[in-house]
Amino acid sequence: MTATSDYDSGVKSTRPVAQSDRIFGSLTLAAAVVVLLVLLGVFASLVMGAWPAFKEYGLPFLWTAKWNPVTDKFGALAPLYGTVVTSIIAMVIAVPVGLGIAIFLTETCPRVLRRPLGIAIELLAGIPSIIYGIWGLFVFAPFMQSYIQPFLIDTLGHVPVIGTLFAGPPYGIGMLTAGLILAMMILPFIASLARDIFQTVPPMLRESAYGMGMTRWEVNRHIVIPHVRTALVGGIMLSLGRALGETMAVTFVIGNAHRISGSILAPGTTISAAIANEFTEATTPIYTSSLIALGLVLFILTFIVLAAAQWMLKRMKQKSGA
Amino acid sequence: MDTLIRDRSPMTFDGVDPAPKSRISIKNLDFFYGDFKALKSINLDLPENRVTAFIGPSGCGKSTLLRVLNRMYDLYPKQTATGEVLLDGENILGKKVDLNRLRAKVGMVFQKPTPFPMTIHENIAFGLRLANYAKSEIDDRVQAALKGAALWDEVKDKLQSSGQSLSGGQQQRLCVARTIAVEPEVILLDEPASALDPISTGKLEETIHQLKEQFTIAIVTHNMQQASRVSDRTAFMYLGELIEEGETAQIFTRPRVERTSDYITGRFG
Amino acid sequence: MASMTRRKTINAVMMTLSTGAAALGLFVLAVILLYLLYKGASALNLSVFTQDTPSPMEPGGLRNAILGSVIMSAIAVAIGTPIGILAGTYMAEYGRYAKLSKVIRFVNDILLSAPSIIVGLFVYQVLVVSLGHFSALAGSVALAILVIPIVVRTTEDMLRLVPDQLREAGLAMGWPRWIVIRTVAYKAAMAGIVTGVLLAIARISGETAPLLFTALSNNFFSLDLTQPMASLPITIFQFALSPYDNWQALAWAGALLITVAVLALAIVARLVTSKKEKH
Repeated sequence: MTATSDYDSGVKSTRPVAQSDRIFGSLTLAAAVVVLLVLLGVFASLVMGAWPAFKEYGLPFLWTAKWNPVTDKFGALAPLYGTVVTSIIAMVIAVPVGLGIAIFLTETCPRVLRRPLGIAIELLAGIPSIIYGIWGLFVFAPFMQSYIQPFLIDTLGHVPVIGTLFAGPPYGIGMLTAGLILAMMILPFIASLARDIFQTVPPMLRESAYGMGMTRWEVNRHIVIPHVRTALVGGIMLSLGRALGETMAVTFVIGNAHRISGSILAPGTTISAAIANEFTEATTPIYTSSLIALGLVLFILTFIVLAAAQWMLKRMKQKSGA
Repeated sequence: MDTLIRDRSPMTFDGVDPAPKSRISIKNLDFFYGDFKALKSINLDLPENRVTAFIGPSGCGKSTLLRVLNRMYDLYPKQTATGEVLLDGENILGKKVDLNRLRAKVGMVFQKPTPFPMTIHENIAFGLRLANYAKSEIDDRVQAALKGAALWDEVKDKLQSSGQSLSGGQQQRLCVARTIAVEPEVILLDEPASALDPISTGKLEETIHQLKEQFTIAIVTHNMQQASRVSDRTAFMYLGELIEEGETAQIFTRPRVERTSDYITGRFG
Repeated sequence: MASMTRRKTINAVMMTLSTGAAALGLFVLAVILLYLLYKGASALNLSVFTQDTPSPMEPGGLRNAILGSVIMSAIAVAIGTPIGILAGTYMAEYGRYAKLSKVIRFVNDILLSAPSIIVGLFVYQVLVVSLGHFSALAGSVALAILVIPIVVRTTEDMLRLVPDQLREAGLAMGWPRWIVIRTVAYKAAMAGIVTGVLLAIARISGETAPLLFTALSNNFFSLDLTQPMASLPITIFQFALSPYDNWQALAWAGALLITVAVLALAIVARLVTSKKEKH
């Protein structure tokens, strides 16, 4: 009634797994490796594509402001500058407003509205960036040109030191407009991320803080935000990664001018906008290569930001014991 | 191999065997979670057609021991067992053991009911088909298994509804039915009644009582009344060691080791 | 207590500010959507769906662009979903404790938020340069690369939510692991995975940057995957920046279509999950 050979029969390898399991298991492993290869492939292809440009211009490519397709002289500084400036503008506006929305949704908002508003914010975070771009081009830029920019020039433009930021004629399009559109685009993203993070705070912690007689603001300022600080910074970096790499919301309204201007009202360009606008029109190999080199710079920049974001979000997860 | 399992005679020849032979022999078993030694040189025999209960305070290793018997620990990294566990004379800790076949021979019912996300009928039939039972016998075997688990009368009119729609006690008996349907030799029960109400527990214990006619059963329980009600033999474990093992009546009335009597009388744990 | 009054004042000010931030944010987002609805709806008519993209100042529609978007998204999902589900399965099941899974999780999260224009550059160099011309296939591959990380992430997350005990119960029956994964784990995680796929479709249906120099665009009706193909986002991009009124109107109509599609997908995705939760 028993057979000691039961266990041995049919087992060809030394590992105790069924044949079918080995096939399916290898298939999943192969798919997982594809994910890895995609990232490596992206990096390798960018490096290869950017190679001619770096060979021609060397590292100074990074801090050269010239961008002249006629004479084939290229440098990354202007788009890099535009990328950083628009992202800073976007973050300066979207972070406090986004946190405000998150606090509102977890604290002040009437309970009946919390879920629908939260869902609405999440849905808005999924709206494609081209929508923000087209609205920016047709509605927001003219509005900026007629109202906001003249006002800024007349008031802040005359203040010493920061006046240069708001100098020049009101073009409508430009770095400030692009930064503001970016802010609107990442706002729902930051808000829903921050809300999710706030909700990881154990209710007991909140309640004991209220039990001490703290006001709402104090609970959020001294208990909630410090408790989730790491994750919050991680979430903000994640949004920064988005802002840095965003193409369509910016391309419509940045003005696409390869120049570095002290005024944020002036047209400029960003890395992704330059690539989007010029790539199919690049006439010489070195032009194409320079655009890919811009892509490589953007990739490395966002990689660092996103990696830091991952690291912080993971630390939070470990802390909360999830 | 399937025929081998099916050909197994369900009972010993003379029905009541005063000294039944052992179905599983555990010899010098050590178990590690990483560096932590969770089981320390366990030696124990599980006799055929008997219910052996494992009792002891939480963390004593009783569930760990159960999970060695069907190599469930293999699923997780850094869990290792050394020593020997003989099932029908074969060391199941060996590297070449086919885990699927081992687990087909050693069924298990868990602490919480674990009905699969399929119909009641499928919960049982799916395993039968995988084990290559003939199509024609599947319906009969489903019925037999449900009867064996004392569930048939309650579900016979809704075999096509989801297994997860049953009550907790019914779900647990469905898991028992699923396990016995594929005719294992040994059934492991890991605190099977801990999530159940007293009535469901009573029904489950009744079922266990009937099952030992056919199977060798090991049950982990933290409930000492339950151990005394359902088991023939009892093993008391403490801090990864097997302190004492013997006839249930003897363990509960005349324990040889002081720690056992302390535990049974509720002085600790 | 003076300090109490002060604290209460600060509290009132800050909470008003946060409410104001919420009001401002929601107001701006509502303005964008309402304006889109107004412009889009006034440009929307039947010919948008029945005619192809026109020359400047001529009547026409977006039929080829809509069809192109649907075709390329469908191929992208067909490529990306199986790879994503399998990779997620590796990370949650076979390779749950493997170092490789940690690396891939990190890589996948980077891909999830990497600039999509970079993906366009990658596919351009791999598929467009080597084949010598832009093609719908290249566009689909670029979109598939965006689908994969979303599906990987949701698959892994959903499979990890499946209780270990359910998995063990399957294995305890002596079933091979892949059968346990298929019949138990996938079934329990199905709603979540479907949600992930729907969200991935929502994401790619509005993506413009990865198509710019892979699928390019095409003013004519084309079903040839080896040739450039029109898509809604690229058409919107080109038409919006043009000086022609009818092109701009079509751009708005297309923008509304995309937004409605994306929102509808996101809502369906939510319903799929919440329906499951009720069980």
